[in-house]
Formats: sequence, structure tokens, C-alpha cells
Amino acid sequence: MTTAHRSRRPEPRPRRAIRPAAAVALTAVLALTASACGNSGDAAGGEGDGKGTVEFWDNNGGVRTPVWKKIIAAFEKKHPDIDVKYVPVPITEVQSKYDTAIAGGGLPDVGGVKTADLANMVAQGALEPVGDRIEDGPLKGRLSPGMVASVRAAGGEGDEMFSVPTSANQSVLWYRTDLFEKAGLDAPDDWETFYEAAEKLTDAGDNKFGFTLRGGAGSVAQALDMMYAQSGVGTFWKGGKTTVNAPENVEALEKYAGLYKKATPAADLNNDFTKMVAQFGSGDIGMLLHNLGSYPDHVKAFGKDRIAGIPLPPSADGAPRTIPSNPVDGLGLFRSSDNKAAAWKFIAFAASHEMNSLWNEEAGAIPARTDAAGDAWVEDAAPVKAAMESLNDPETKIVQLPYELPDWNHISKAGTEPDFQKLLLGEMTAQEFADKLAGLLNEARAEWNEQREK
Amino acid sequence: MTTTAITDQGAAAGTRAGAHTGSAPPARRFRRGPGTGGGPAGDRTPRWQIYLPLGLYLLFTLVPFYWMLLFAVRPAGSTSLVPWPATAAHFDKVWNDLGFAVFFRNSLLVGVASLLMTTAVALAGGYALARFRFRGRNGFMLALLCSQFIPGALMLVPLFEIFRELALVNSLWSVVIAETVFQLPLSLILISGFIRNVPAELEEAAWVDGCGRFRAFCAVVLPLLRPGLIAVGSFAFVHSWNHFLFALMFLSSQEKYTIPVGLNYTIGAESVDLGALAAGGVVAAVPVVIVFAFIQKWLIAGFSAGAVKG
Repeated sequence: MTTAHRSRRPEPRPRRAIRPAAAVALTAVLALTASACGNSGDAAGGEGDGKGTVEFWDNNGGVRTPVWKKIIAAFEKKHPDIDVKYVPVPITEVQSKYDTAIAGGGLPDVGGVKTADLANMVAQGALEPVGDRIEDGPLKGRLSPGMVASVRAAGGEGDEMFSVPTSANQSVLWYRTDLFEKAGLDAPDDWETFYEAAEKLTDAGDNKFGFTLRGGAGSVAQALDMMYAQSGVGTFWKGGKTTVNAPENVEALEKYAGLYKKATPAADLNNDFTKMVAQFGSGDIGMLLHNLGSYPDHVKAFGKDRIAGIPLPPSADGAPRTIPSNPVDGLGLFRSSDNKAAAWKFIAFAASHEMNSLWNEEAGAIPARTDAAGDAWVEDAAPVKAAMESLNDPETKIVQLPYELPDWNHISKAGTEPDFQKLLLGEMTAQEFADKLAGLLNEARAEWNEQREK
Repeated sequence: MTTTAITDQGAAAGTRAGAHTGSAPPARRFRRGPGTGGGPAGDRTPRWQIYLPLGLYLLFTLVPFYWMLLFAVRPAGSTSLVPWPATAAHFDKVWNDLGFAVFFRNSLLVGVASLLMTTAVALAGGYALARFRFRGRNGFMLALLCSQFIPGALMLVPLFEIFRELALVNSLWSVVIAETVFQLPLSLILISGFIRNVPAELEEAAWVDGCGRFRAFCAVVLPLLRPGLIAVGSFAFVHSWNHFLFALMFLSSQEKYTIPVGLNYTIGAESVDLGALAAGGVVAAVPVVIVFAFIQKWLIAGFSAGAVKG
């Protein structure tokens, strides 16, 4: 029956008629594709006349949109001959958007760039060096030395800077003052008190816990914070090898991972920051390690009186604090921009004292401008003030995490996060975890050095 | 009910046949037994064996929806497990502050345009695949199947370059075209299957009556393809409605973004506005739920038609 049907079906179109059409279509597609190549992210661009349109990609679009709109309105009022085209890009996909634009063209003039993403973009030649522009303008000497050092280290090109730092975050030990008071505990400003409080505030049967840790996405970054802060090891590299698996760090890691299920909910195994913060906000949990960004969430959940935040304690009484560098947010000038002069005006304006202070007040983050330290809002926001003071304290040891390694993001996330879960579950020892992490880092650094030598 | 009616007719036919020939036995009569799922006699499946798995399935399906509704209408900071007292503040925020009014309109434009383009091209291509025999047809079908294994992310850069050359970057057309292209393989396969199930004799009869090929197709084949068109159209619409990647990559203007991009605006680097995220989720889900509520019977008819006739 099928055959019979087929035999009566319409005859196919003659092949000769199809061939030229197919050839033309194929040629058109190939020509189009070939002509589309070029004008990639490393195109040279130009200074322009300092007027016109500046396209700006916000790397934390949505959340920061209101404050950026205020800054842009103020800028356009001051520079009526420049229009800023604001493009809010969701933080979750900003790197993909940049990568696509670097490969395919269409980069903006200015973009928000964190130090965690800087190395990748510098390696692709997408960003313009801005060190000279900073030195020659009003930003000279006004930016936090710690943040400048982080930006320089992350760029991986010596002392050159590829973004203007605007803001930094820092891990904060948040704790519930009401629970501490009720249990007769002091603030956890040393490690002994921290572990004692974690244990005392835990009553698993009554669903009360002393601490909640991050076992899912972002777990390794948090573990590194805990390791270096406890151990006091002040550098990430020593003699060309990472210090991640130094005995002091392994011991600290063992103590930290040992909190799992003893002083934390079992569900922490899969916690990313969202779940962790939500869990802290809706339960009876004494302490949480997260950055300043979650301060508004805690205030919303508990009110200002029942929550406090302090920097991670120093390794020993009287010792300086040790803080692994948190990603520094900044503004990058793209090499492909045809209007760099106007774009730089916008960057300089956004990094001015008034605008930088405004942005960081809204974000609850640490301003890059040193002259913002005395602003009223900083005085009122105790956790920000404490974090800022610890960051800018010359005694503080800042461990520069290797953001410059192109493999860093992979190694510290997908590459080792499953192993951290094994560590929590007791399927791996702290030494094994640290050794594996160290092996990957040492290998990545060797590869990076090799590539740079070429 | 349907089963009973069909089998009764069968039994009646069998009886009539038996009376006529005097030899054929009556067709077996199925009946609904008490406490059964309506299967053949003797298949006495206890009700709990049907309702328990269904209940569990519903639990897993509906709890996230309840969670979304709860967070969408619950005031910020509330830990109540019931959506009372309710607030519209989150909806106000996403609709007016985050720009969902604009994103919704853009998503609707992209969804409807993708639906129309996908259906139109799939109809034409599906007809050719079903009705014509030409060299490379099987290879083409294989290529269509293989194209389903290519992730969209892999095609981002080449597509971006092509759209840039065509000056379509930051135009909703870029998203519509990309969505259409990625929907076409599956749509072509589905539609060609539906068309193949329409007997060619029907078209031939129309030709004999004086219709041209196009008119015969419109008058005879098209009305019979309704379930297939609804299946393909709804897939195209829902896929475009939900797709995040192309809208984010090919558009560079807040006024052009679609709802999935807008939803991501509620997720910050250090905090998530769960109320706004949930309210945005409700706004995003409503059109899809409405679409499926209207088309479900056609969709199921389409699937079963394809399943039986291959």
C-alpha cells in the first residue's frame, strides 16, 4: 500500500533546477559567514572627540539598575554632549555575554568587570590599560591601595591596571546577637569563641544550629577564607607552589569541615549562597559566613538589633588579620571602543567620591575611594565600616587569590566543589582535598607561566 | 466511558456478524469493575495504586508552584506558610520597576512571530519531505535529527556574527530568526509525519476536481493537520517564551529584553530578591498555563495520532 501511494505521489522537482539554487544559497551562506569574521574584541578603536554615545554594560544588572540610572542622569547633566546607553546584564551570564561579544564583536565602550573575570578578558586583549589615565587624572592617589593591588594582580600584566576599582566585598562573620546573648556567649571575635559558640548554639533535635556553611556552589571560596583566616598564612604562593596544602591550612580546613552536621544542618551539603542566606534568615542559626552583600537580607529578616557582622578573626590573639582577596568590582574601558575619550569621562565620573560613595551605599559594599571612608553612611553601617577598616589596615595580610590564572574559576568551582562535598561527607580527608586542589593550582600556574614565556 | 462505548459497538458488530455468518463468536465485552481503573475485566487495579502515584506526582509538580505563589504574594520578611496576608508589592516591583511590562510585550512578540514562522516554514518543508522523493531526503532527515544534538550555546558566536552583518543585533528579529531556526528540525519532522498520515488520494481527488496543488493542500490537507499544527505551534511559542540565551546574547538594550532575561535581574551577585523572582515567575508562567489549558486536547490528539500511525 505504501508503495502504491508512493508511485502515485507527485513527481520530484527536476534535480537540475535544484542544483543552481542550492549552489547559490550555499555560496551566499559561506560568503556571509566569511565576511562576518573580523572586528573582534581586540580591535583597536579610537579616542573619538569626547562626545556622542557611550555604551555601558552593567555587570550586575537589575539589582544595581536604580543606582546606575541615578549616576548616569547626573553624568548626562554634567556632560550634556554625551549620552550613556545603559545595558543591564544579569550577573549570572555576564561572562558569557562578554565572551560572545569578544569573539563576535559588539563590545560596549565601558563595562563592569570583576577581578575574577579580568584575567580572561585581558588575555583576549579586550581591555585597554588604564594605569596612565588614572595617574594623569583626578583618580590619582584616591583609590584603595588594597583594591589597586588586587586589580593589578588579577590582570596578570605586572603593575598595569585594566580596570578602575570601584568597590570590594569582603567575607563577614554574621551572627545573631539575640541568640548569643541568650546563650551567654561573647561575640565570636576569636576562633576559640567561634567554635565554642557553634557547638553551644546547636540543638539539632530542636532544629537549632550554631553555624551554616556553604557546601554547594561557591563552597571552595568560602573554605579558603576560613583556612587562611585561621592559619594566618599570608601568601597564596610560596617558592612557586601554592600554600593551600600547607599543614596550618590543612588543620584549619579539618576543623572547619568538622562543623558539618555537628553544628550545621545536614542540608548545608548543597547550599549555594542563596540557600545559605535564606536558611540563616528563616531559622534558628547562630552564625553565617557570607560577604557584605547579604546585609540587607539579614536586616530584613531580623532587624538591625538582632544581627551583627565582624571580619573573620585573626589567627591568634594579637596577630594581624589574614584576608583572602575578595573579587574587586570595577569599570573597564574596552579596547574596541571608538569613543574612548567620552568613555573615560564616564568612568572617571562614576569613580568620583560622590558617585562612588552613592553606589557603595546602595550596594552595601566597600567603596574604592579612600576619601569615602569618613562618609556618614559608612559610620552608620557598622559591618561595612569594620570590613573597610580591616581591609585598609596596613597590618592586615591580604592573600591575593590567583584570579590571573585562566583556570582559576574552573578549579575553584566545578573542578573541586564536588570534592569538597566528599570532604564534608567523610569520603575524603582534608589533606587529600588540599593536595588535590594544590596539584591543580600548581599545574595551572605552570601552564600559565609557560604561555606567558612564549 | 469512551472505552465502554467503543467496545459496545464492537460487541454489537460482532453479534451482527455472528448472526449473519452463524459462526463468528461475539466480540469480548469489557466492563468497568468496581474499584478498577476502567481496564479490561479481571484487571482490578485498586484505586490507591492509581491515585497514590498520581498524588505523589502532583505533590512534586504543584509544591514548587505553591512555593512560587507563596513568595510572590507574601510580604518581604514573612515566614508564613500560607499566602496571607497577601501583598501585590512584588508584582508592582517586577511589572513597573524591573520593566516586566516591556519584557512581557517583547516576549509575546517573539513568541508569536516564532510560532508563525516556524509553523509556516515547517508546513512547507514538511510537505516536501512527506510528498516528494528526492535524492538526499533520508540524509536530510538524518541531519535534522542530528541537529537536535547541537547545543544552542555552541552556535552563539557564528549566529552573532551573521546577525551583526545583517544589522540584526539588538533587534527582536534576531531572536525570532534564531528561535525559528532551532525549532525547525523537530517541527519539520513532526509536520512531515502528520502530512504523511494524510492519504495522498485525498489530494489527488481534489486535483481531479480542478484544484491546483496549493489549493488542494489548503482545502484538503491543512484542515486535517490541526492537531499537528497546534503541537508544533505551541512548542515553538513555549520554547521562545522560555528561552533565555538568545535574548540575552543578541539583544543589548533593556527595552528589547524578554521575560527570561528580566527574571535574572532579580538574582544579584550577593543577594536574591525571592519575592520579585517569584512574582516574575508567576507573570512568566501565566501565558504558558493559559496556552496549554486551551490546546491540551488538541495536543494529546496530535500526539496519539502520531503514535498510532507512525
